[in-house]
Amino acid sequence: MALPLPPGLTPPEIAFLCEMELVTVIPRQKLERLELLGGSLPPLNPPHRAPLPLWLALLLKRQRRANILPPLWLSPHSLTAILDHETEHGDGFSPPPRLPPLPSQNTLPFSPPFLPSSTADAAPDALPYHWLELGEMLLETAADDFEDPDSVRKLLRGLREVRMAKLRQVVETLDAAGGVNMNGVGGMEVAEGRTFVTGVIDGLRKIVTSREQQKKDRDREERENGDDYDDDEMEMQ
Amino acid sequence: MDIDDLLAEVSADAVPRETRDLQELTRAWVAERVAPELLPHPEALMERVLGRIRKQIELVEDQTGNMDPRANFTLIVVQTELERFKFLVRSFLRARIKKIDTHPLHTLNQHAASTATSAPLLSTAEYQYLTQHQALLSQHYATSFLGQFPAALQQLDDTTGISMVDKPDEDAAVFCRALREVGEVFVEGTEKRFEIKRGDVWVVRWSVVRDWVRSGDVELI
Repeated sequence: MALPLPPGLTPPEIAFLCEMELVTVIPRQKLERLELLGGSLPPLNPPHRAPLPLWLALLLKRQRRANILPPLWLSPHSLTAILDHETEHGDGFSPPPRLPPLPSQNTLPFSPPFLPSSTADAAPDALPYHWLELGEMLLETAADDFEDPDSVRKLLRGLREVRMAKLRQVVETLDAAGGVNMNGVGGMEVAEGRTFVTGVIDGLRKIVTSREQQKKDRDREERENGDDYDDDEMEMQ
Repeated sequence: MDIDDLLAEVSADAVPRETRDLQELTRAWVAERVAPELLPHPEALMERVLGRIRKQIELVEDQTGNMDPRANFTLIVVQTELERFKFLVRSFLRARIKKIDTHPLHTLNQHAASTATSAPLLSTAEYQYLTQHQALLSQHYATSFLGQFPAALQQLDDTTGISMVDKPDEDAAVFCRALREVGEVFVEGTEKRFEIKRGDVWVVRWSVVRDWVRSGDVELI
């Protein structure tokens, strides 16, 4: 009954999330409008492009009912530029795609995988959150929709190496307080680094627990007593 | 705010309820899989989602007899999506049961404290499961060995001295992403201060971002 998995998403669960990303397909068959649980599906009318969730796009592709248009950032040109940026700037990952405008206070903010960061008109100059999973899945099922799948595969491999090295470098900056910035990190990279990064932070914290507790008590005392902080009073408690 | 922002806001409001619910359910699932402690049960959301799943199952049952090949393919699509939703709901509930099982007494206390608020910790079914499971367990312990102990040592929830009620580690580090501007945060017990801006990804202690996760300004990843 209870889930036997440890906290944190596993790689197959990350892939499941990634399958909700929207991609652009060019249908080869008509399909009527469909009312699905996650909202209605646009009618497919060849040769008009349509945005579809990845799981459906892959299903259509496998049955040769559609072709997938890979996002622009998955072109060799963009990937080369991003890879250059990653190798030149040793500190931190390359910046994530630009955020959509801030929704007002009472509307629900959307986040990956529900931002259109992998459709044909997505920004070509940044890796979205699910870059690695999406790239791998498209190359596996829809390699013939790429102009040059081999160089894309090579560039993705290169990006992965550079970014994994950066993820390992983060380890040196870890301390008991946490508070590590990871802007631009990818979903699969979080899954891979999670156990180690959080394990180190939690382990270090346990070592300094008593010192932190003392400081917490002292801070609280200071707040309660205002300015006239008294040593004797602390000893009595 | 320029015209693009205004247009985007109108379109964000125009996103159908179903799609927003999928985003919300996905976020709740990830949060429950990642957070060290149990989060309030999203009652309204679950009701809507389960209602839709029930209707979709009826639709599938109605159309299974239809042998037209074209209708057959749409049925495959509908069923695939249905299975994905069922996985989400099931994994979400199972992750919650795991936390309930790990810290039953703590959960019971937290739930009792939260029933007066607008966001109770457990759903009715979960509460029923927890109390009945706990009753069976304590009865089993009592008959198998606790009954032979001195009366003063028979309690399972003794809090004098070191508390027997096990708690999840609220300071465990988590990966999170800011959905709105959060501002400066402060890690209690240390000198660490930093600013969380919209879109940022941080590794922080759960206790630091807990309130923002609950209000929906920060999500766990």
